[in-house]
Amino acid sequence: MDLTLAEGIVKASALLGAGLCMGMGALGPGLGEGFVAGKACEGIARSPENASLITRTMLVGQAVSESTGIYSLVIALLLIFST
Amino acid sequence: MVLTNEHIQMAAFLGAGISVGLGAITTGIGSGIIAGESAYGLVRQPKANDQLFRTMLIGQAAAQTAGIFALVISMLLIYGRSDLPEGGWYRAASYLAAGLAMGLGSIGPSLGAGYAGGQACNAVARMPKESNSIMGNMLIGQALSQTSAIFALVVAFLLIYSIPVQPADISTGRIIVKTLAIIGAGLSIGFGTLGPGSGIGYVAGKASNMVGRFSHEKSTIMRTMFLGAAVSESTAIYSLVVSFLLIFAL
Repeated sequence: MDLTLAEGIVKASALLGAGLCMGMGALGPGLGEGFVAGKACEGIARSPENASLITRTMLVGQAVSESTGIYSLVIALLLIFST
Repeated sequence: MVLTNEHIQMAAFLGAGISVGLGAITTGIGSGIIAGESAYGLVRQPKANDQLFRTMLIGQAAAQTAGIFALVISMLLIYGRSDLPEGGWYRAASYLAAGLAMGLGSIGPSLGAGYAGGQACNAVARMPKESNSIMGNMLIGQALSQTSAIFALVVAFLLIYSIPVQPADISTGRIIVKTLAIIGAGLSIGFGTLGPGSGIGYVAGKASNMVGRFSHEKSTIMRTMFLGAAVSESTAIYSLVVSFLLIFAL
């Protein structure tokens, strides 16, 4: 399977886009989830009797915050495999 | 266009500069945060001098790790590469991408490790008696935040040493695809470690601070720290997967 120059440029841009998409897409969720977990540590230290409640809220919040990371992963995989 | 040895050398030197240049940014900032918190702690608690000094030095050493990785990669790019003329565009792109991966990849982890060290010094100044357990928690947290720098290091090594030689009879379209895939792999893991590295550093910092203040809750705090850091690490792992796909599956 040989590519013409034009096809090559399209495919190559899709792959570079996939790299940039996953790279920048990981930035926000990573930072946001870290912030949630940091605040949860602080909260659990201050009121340990609510530890399970705080942990549950932390995990739900992180799951929501993770969604954009998963969107980026999906788009990156689409760009790699279906162009 | 046929690449000569000089072109490949050019890409390698550019990659070396990018790697250590970007890698030095937050390594310096992080170490500075730790020293600043430690100096401010001395104002509050001059008697904690010894513990503060020890925590500061160990914290700074851990925060410098990613900068040292970047230095290693740029040394390898300057002295440790193999310039085969048939390496062509693949080789040039992989040297540039290795520099981008490690340079960008060390920004987040060293910022995170710097914040963790700073919060630990802050806690040591408040509670000098708890300095050992604070330092233990700080080191574990800094190690967690450096994992994403290690992902970047792995990708950079793979890019330097395991990119295949460009076949002679290959169409220009194919060459462009593989070249940009290699650069994309470097950018993916480079930017992808930025968020998780600094996010986990924030967790580690808060946990170290709280271990100092509420030492009887140490185990619960550490458990939450591990859980939160693991979830926060997931996006760095996605980036690593995408980088591997771009390097090996195409």
